[in-house]
Amino acid sequence: MKVLLSIKQEYLLNAFMIFFIVHSTQIGVGIQGYQRIIYSDSHQDAWISVILSGLYASLIVYIIIKTLELYETSDIYGIQHDVFGKLIGKLLNVLYIFYSLISFFVVLRNYMEVVQAWIFPEVPLWFLTTSLLMLVIYGIHSGVRGIAGIAFFSVTLSLWLLILIIYPLQHAKWTYLLPVLEADLIPLLKGVYHMTFTVIGFEILYTVYPYMKDKNKVQKYAQLAILFTTCIYTILMMVAIVYFSGAQLERTVWATLSLFKVVRLPFIERFEYVAITFWMLIILPNLILYMWAACRGMERVFTFSAKKSVWLFSSIIFIITQFVISRTQINMMNGYFAKFAFVVVFCYPLILFLAAWLKKKFTKKKEQSV
Amino acid sequence: MFKKRAINKRLQPKSSLENGPQTEELAEPHNTSNLPLKSDDLTPMIHEKFNNTSDLKVKKYINLTIYYIENQINQQELNQNIIGKIKQADEITTETVYASIAINEVEDTDDLSYAILRMIKGSVALFIEGTPKIILASIPVKESRALSRPENESQVTGPQLGFNESLATNVSVIRRYLSTPDLCNEFFVFGTRTNTAVSLLYIKGIASEDLVNRVKHKLNQIEVDALIDSSVLNQHLDDHSWSIFPQMLLTERPDRVSDGLLNGKIALFVDGSTNVILCPFTFIEFFESREDYNIRWPIATFIRLLRIVAMFLSIFFTSIYVAALTFHYEIIPQALLVPLGESRSRVPFPPLFEAVLLEFIIELLREAGARLPTKVGQTMGIVGGIVIGTAAVQAGFTSNILLIIVALSALASFTAPSYTMGNVIRIIRFPILFMAGFLGFYGVMFGFCLLLIHLIRLSSLGAPYLSPFYPPRFQDWVDSVIRLPMKYTNKRPTLTRPADVQKYDPDKVN
Repeated sequence: MKVLLSIKQEYLLNAFMIFFIVHSTQIGVGIQGYQRIIYSDSHQDAWISVILSGLYASLIVYIIIKTLELYETSDIYGIQHDVFGKLIGKLLNVLYIFYSLISFFVVLRNYMEVVQAWIFPEVPLWFLTTSLLMLVIYGIHSGVRGIAGIAFFSVTLSLWLLILIIYPLQHAKWTYLLPVLEADLIPLLKGVYHMTFTVIGFEILYTVYPYMKDKNKVQKYAQLAILFTTCIYTILMMVAIVYFSGAQLERTVWATLSLFKVVRLPFIERFEYVAITFWMLIILPNLILYMWAACRGMERVFTFSAKKSVWLFSSIIFIITQFVISRTQINMMNGYFAKFAFVVVFCYPLILFLAAWLKKKFTKKKEQSV
Repeated sequence: MFKKRAINKRLQPKSSLENGPQTEELAEPHNTSNLPLKSDDLTPMIHEKFNNTSDLKVKKYINLTIYYIENQINQQELNQNIIGKIKQADEITTETVYASIAINEVEDTDDLSYAILRMIKGSVALFIEGTPKIILASIPVKESRALSRPENESQVTGPQLGFNESLATNVSVIRRYLSTPDLCNEFFVFGTRTNTAVSLLYIKGIASEDLVNRVKHKLNQIEVDALIDSSVLNQHLDDHSWSIFPQMLLTERPDRVSDGLLNGKIALFVDGSTNVILCPFTFIEFFESREDYNIRWPIATFIRLLRIVAMFLSIFFTSIYVAALTFHYEIIPQALLVPLGESRSRVPFPPLFEAVLLEFIIELLREAGARLPTKVGQTMGIVGGIVIGTAAVQAGFTSNILLIIVALSALASFTAPSYTMGNVIRIIRFPILFMAGFLGFYGVMFGFCLLLIHLIRLSSLGAPYLSPFYPPRFQDWVDSVIRLPMKYTNKRPTLTRPADVQKYDPDKVN
């Protein structure tokens, strides 16, 4: 396998597109109901946990981009292959493809759960799966620039949803935030740990980095994306805390969606119906980018064409969705996935960076001595 | 001169295929052309080429033979400026013929196929005994109607001039708007049977050379037997022939074409067609009109925003109504629920069926209106609309609220300044309507996402279709959905990659 990639000029993306790619991959299904989980850890200080998780994510993004900069035009598949050798590298690459696919599946299944619970309890699962997979397959076929475009429109076209938090804020009780910093460090960090499921998504940098035009600007825009996402998470966390009472929040599974219930426009009530269906646009880049990362891996590791692997993976996902049905199963899956993702996204990049850095240093010394 | 070269290039391989190698071998050493030396030999050849058509006339005058197609040439000019003048000469040789003919466009050729082609286009062929050459004098009948108002793209302000069917007239109209020697006109011939003339216009120094070459390359690749209208050529040139969206503009307004050329676009004129192709073109530009520049910027901005809103309304309004009424009646506010329920109480059909029925009737009215003669069409449209509308409500066929919604979205679809785009908006409404009927808002959103991905994938001559939104080109936003004062729109859009970016110095305009 070739470690370094040479990508044609016409496929390259502007550096600031990484803002939209990272941000849109971060925001997905987690945002719909992370408040309850974090609140049960650190109560009214949950927003501090959210900020801390944002800071940690920013650090990880820094490390990820530093790792990628060591190789300049390679992705995670090439780096792992180079650092860990043929066999272990391949194993890790397969594991990363598996991780991307699981992420895809988790996003897909959780969104369907929301659609079924809120709007269409009677529409069969396979029908919803097929419709979303169709969009994904069509999206993947439009190439990297097209995928980035979907991420771009997903972010820009859904910004207006943010304005709607004015409605719950009218009923806010700001005293719910007090006393500040009551929680100890341990619950705060526990909250950070539980934010994993919501915050991840920036690991897409590992696969999309070679497609960036001016790579020295990637760091800036990726950090901006993390900042923007963390701001949204913090604001939504705070709004949830000041709007719901503590006991109420602990019983609200999808707090963000419940916030939309308050929105009352002269021509529309029960706004969450609109919000949930509109969520399709928000999770679409999520799905497409994760699927793309997996297909890209197949292309890199097994030289299996991406267009073929989309169909292969889609049919696999389609079959798996038929087995994860109940809410408890989904909760269990989310729990396992969060642990897996914590290792892959929050711990592994540090190891990979160290290994890659040592390897670079080692080989450089060798070259010098020769 | 250019004309001749272009035509020759396309005809040469064909003629050499038919009788190339043999004639070359058989030809006498001193006569290199494939023409005989005697008119008695030439006449049957021409007759054969024309399949003995009855309007081919052959006239002999001493050692001169004249061939022409009767209905294609101007008889008066033939008598006065050709025969009349030649008769005054002492003897008839190539030189004297050239000297005496009082016609501007005279040429000679030794290629019979070319001569035949020119004769179809209105040339008289002159043959002198002993000289293996045909002299061609062009005196075509000019049958073209006068320039009139644009029928399909009307504007309140601005010039009221539309193209007509003559290529020469159309190009000259553009030359009047753009009096610059930089306006390049390149000539192509299309259709192995129709030999339709096509002109490629661009402004050198503004249009990117890469783009011009790309169009030329595409034009040269096309091999068709016939080309009747520019809209067909447009479809041959499209990047994505499977898409429902038009990727190039067809316009009959010279001011719009001139404006496009000044922005680095390329125009294609087809002989016999009133529409000119302007390319590359983006999605948002289909909702811009030349008139937006003739009126003040706040009004222009308002109108442009109105058109965009109308487009969304037209595509999604009926679907949202159907989705809300079929699945999500919770979202309808209580105050609205009562009149809605009242109006729907007599309707026996589900909302989807009701909506599809009414949309279908509207489409029927529109199509009938387009086919009927102008005067009848208008009356039929209004009368039919009102009669069918009120009667349908009274008969309990549809609810009057839906009638308003459907009429509104039909009206909105006509605000698109491009007829082709208006058609597309009306058609994509139907699949989304069905999705709304089966899956509610989820279906509408599914349709929206599908549409979005499709639009992202599209391109027009390699230029992204959703520009300037994606890829984001913020400097072009000043003249897209909004229009800012002239001071700020001094740059040409990035879309065409113009060679000269700056239109004018912003400090010198208000």
